[in-house]
Amino acid sequence: MKLFVPSPGHIDSLKELLKQKEKIYSIFMAGSPDYIGTGRSNLASPQLEDIKEQTEFAHKNGVKMELVLNSSCMGGRQLTPEGFRINHWYIEKLVDIGIDSIVVADPYLVETISRDFDVDVVVSVLAFVDSPQKAEFFEDLGAKSIVIDSNVNRHFDVLHAIRDSVDCELKLLVNEGCLYRCPFRYAHFNFFSHAFGPEPRPNVLDDYYYLKCLELRIKNPELITKSPWIRPEDLKLYRDITDVYKIGGRTHFVDWILNCVNAYYNESYDGNLMDLLDCPKDLKDLYNIPNKSFDGILEKQWKNCRKVCNKCGYCRTLTKKVVQVYSNGGTGFEKCLPWVEVKT
Amino acid sequence: MITEELLKNRAGFEDKMRKLIGRPVLLIELDVFALPCGCAGITANMRGLEIDDLDVFEPAILPLVKEMAANLGIKPTVIFARVVPGSSIVASLNWRMLCPRCYPEFARGEGKMPRPDLYMLQFERRK
Repeated sequence: MKLFVPSPGHIDSLKELLKQKEKIYSIFMAGSPDYIGTGRSNLASPQLEDIKEQTEFAHKNGVKMELVLNSSCMGGRQLTPEGFRINHWYIEKLVDIGIDSIVVADPYLVETISRDFDVDVVVSVLAFVDSPQKAEFFEDLGAKSIVIDSNVNRHFDVLHAIRDSVDCELKLLVNEGCLYRCPFRYAHFNFFSHAFGPEPRPNVLDDYYYLKCLELRIKNPELITKSPWIRPEDLKLYRDITDVYKIGGRTHFVDWILNCVNAYYNESYDGNLMDLLDCPKDLKDLYNIPNKSFDGILEKQWKNCRKVCNKCGYCRTLTKKVVQVYSNGGTGFEKCLPWVEVKT
Repeated sequence: MITEELLKNRAGFEDKMRKLIGRPVLLIELDVFALPCGCAGITANMRGLEIDDLDVFEPAILPLVKEMAANLGIKPTVIFARVVPGSSIVASLNWRMLCPRCYPEFARGEGKMPRPDLYMLQFERRK
């Protein structure tokens, strides 16, 4: 198993993470927002000298270093002569530092980096590769690895078709708790790309997409059940597709990240599923969903599910059975109530 | 101990709101604040609460809101929800004891939504 593990982006967190280096194949982190930026939020903006120090430290510990430059929208800047020159300069510096791989979402960057630089190019999950045709396209552009769109994490026919179509490495993002077929996905990642990319950055009071996403899942936790996360226990069902897994969560504490590393490394987690999910972090204090209560369900139901929810109702019934809501949280009277008891 | 009171009131207010609305809502952070201008108050950052809930349950929500203010020793001049403009989202409930400088800004406002991001629950005019 190869685990790609997030780092918040500074040397102290990297040192903590690599205390468990035997479980980690590669670290990944964002670079500076001043060049290409990323499609997700970041805690740090490491400059080249920071990246160099961290890359050397990772390599000294036998762990690879991956830089994430997966902005989903650069406003066309990448196609201007100045944008091309700046991006090329930045990537050249990263390659000189010894970065092992660079994650990008833009097909143009996949092609130009793989042609001009001696570094592995990884297609981001934000390129939404959800078919063998798209996978072939990116492989032909020069991709050495593709992170498959997590929306198809439970579509085994598609996963097998992608595996059969390309020779490059495939990665699965295992713990993203995003809505299945999320309608905010493109707009939200484009927003992040500008907020965590070069100036000018939008000055936003509230992240509508995030708040709306939470609102939907607070009203209906069935949406959490249907999110395409992969439980540690279910990795074994993906072995004939890939053994390369990416853990999301570069804005979390190291302790949270290592908890996920241990769960996926051991392929078992006896706790709240919400502890492992990257995206709806805020909801871990609302819902308790025992991870083990999903034992066997991927194999029995989801692996062959046709995703016609209004005619099925399996996830609705399952949600009623397993989801609990914290009541009196943070006091001596805290307890978990079945969700069906809180909802009238 | 103020932290114990905050924890107790956070949980209590959340629980009462859930019972009133009939579904889970999350009071994700309850803060007591003081501003450099002289305003002070409470902010309850909410998740899962919608403007429709305020519309429908406002007469029942107001006593809960006032109860928590009294529990925490706040006598608010204004109580309002901060919403994400153009959406159903209520981001927070706010209890504010207005300073003399900020009072006119609220006093000049008209209607339930004097600004696109504010939904007024109560305003006590000076006599």
